[in-house]
Amino acid sequence: MESQNRRLMRDFKRLQEDPPTGVSGAPTDNNIMIWNAVIFGPHDTPFEDGTFKLTVEFTEEYPNKPPTVRFASKMFHPNVYADGGICLDILQNRWSPTYDVSAILTSIQSLLSDPNPNSPANSMAAQLYKENRREYEKRVKACVEQSFID
Amino acid sequence: MADDNIEPDQASFDKGYSEDANQVNQDDLILQQSKNIEKEISDSIMLVGDKEDIMVLEQQYIGDEVYKGKVKDLARKYSNLRRTRPDGNCFFRSFGFALLESLYHLEFNSFRLIAEKSKDKLLELGFQKFTLEDFHDQFMEVVNLISKPETNEDTLVEVFNNKDYSDYVVVYLRLIASGQLQQDADFYQNFIEGNRTVFEFCRQEVEPMFKESDHIHIIALSTALDVGVRVRYMDRGDSTEAIAHDFPEDKPPQIHLLYRPGHYDILYPL
Repeated sequence: MESQNRRLMRDFKRLQEDPPTGVSGAPTDNNIMIWNAVIFGPHDTPFEDGTFKLTVEFTEEYPNKPPTVRFASKMFHPNVYADGGICLDILQNRWSPTYDVSAILTSIQSLLSDPNPNSPANSMAAQLYKENRREYEKRVKACVEQSFID
Repeated sequence: MADDNIEPDQASFDKGYSEDANQVNQDDLILQQSKNIEKEISDSIMLVGDKEDIMVLEQQYIGDEVYKGKVKDLARKYSNLRRTRPDGNCFFRSFGFALLESLYHLEFNSFRLIAEKSKDKLLELGFQKFTLEDFHDQFMEVVNLISKPETNEDTLVEVFNNKDYSDYVVVYLRLIASGQLQQDADFYQNFIEGNRTVFEFCRQEVEPMFKESDHIHIIALSTALDVGVRVRYMDRGDSTEAIAHDFPEDKPPQIHLLYRPGHYDILYPL
């Protein structure tokens, strides 16, 4: 078996046997290179109760290169682009092949709790996060409600 | 007009939001561009090339007296050159290939023992067992090829041009270097620029693939595996010879590498 398929099967097995709190993921039916994942909004954050869907797309270079991860659910967050793309260092220039799918999903989950408004992908969200937290939370809550319907 | 009914505050928020909707995902654009450059390189240069005569270097520097002089000097000490792909992994890949090749002549079993044990040290340092084992298994598979009688130079070139093996060897060597830096963090901290801890440096500059190597990577890897490396530096400097640096300093060289600004290849002594 090619190494990335073997590795993806191991990632999946580990995610099933030892699932981190608040995240889940699995390959799509026909294609092990494309996964669907869900991240539950962390407690004590405006994202609480949200069920946010993501797609994780691997290339044949995984795990030497990171997969492309996008929110499929609508998101309002300083580090998430309008198209769902995520601005997170470990998914770009600080990727390490020792990260697996569990590590990726839990890192994204922490990003929800701790946005980095200094490297914004959504400048509006970053500005509100810094200057008008109430309005920020209002918009995030709208995404949480939207996530129930999606 | 509808706009008149919106409070000024709200209007500016809405405007900002719609601009965001059009905000281009810069990361994707940059990724696409670097992918195109990488493809150009990977289509034209093998991960590890065939052995070439050292004098091929001369043709590369026609009309350049400084470099020509240094090529002549190299040719007095080395017979051959083997190029590697300039993808940011060239040091680790060159090191890995030259190391395994050198094991034909040297004590294979003692190295295999060091390689086997290296995993335990990394686990002690807190590397994730699940992913570490994957890389270690693949690395050992390549190391063990050397002990098989049917393995020859062509086998090694083939394996090192198969990304499934070649990149896993690079990753594992990167992890070993990272482990060494972390284990002797107090010492290595002195050589790290900027306000970074050794751990951060490892996460940012050592473990990720395609990150270029510096002296500190070479010292860490050669120390961890107890393998001497001589690097010959070919640059615009005044000297008429390609100056040699040995890592670790007191260790006789087991492998020889050629450094030209930004890139490492493998050298074969006469």
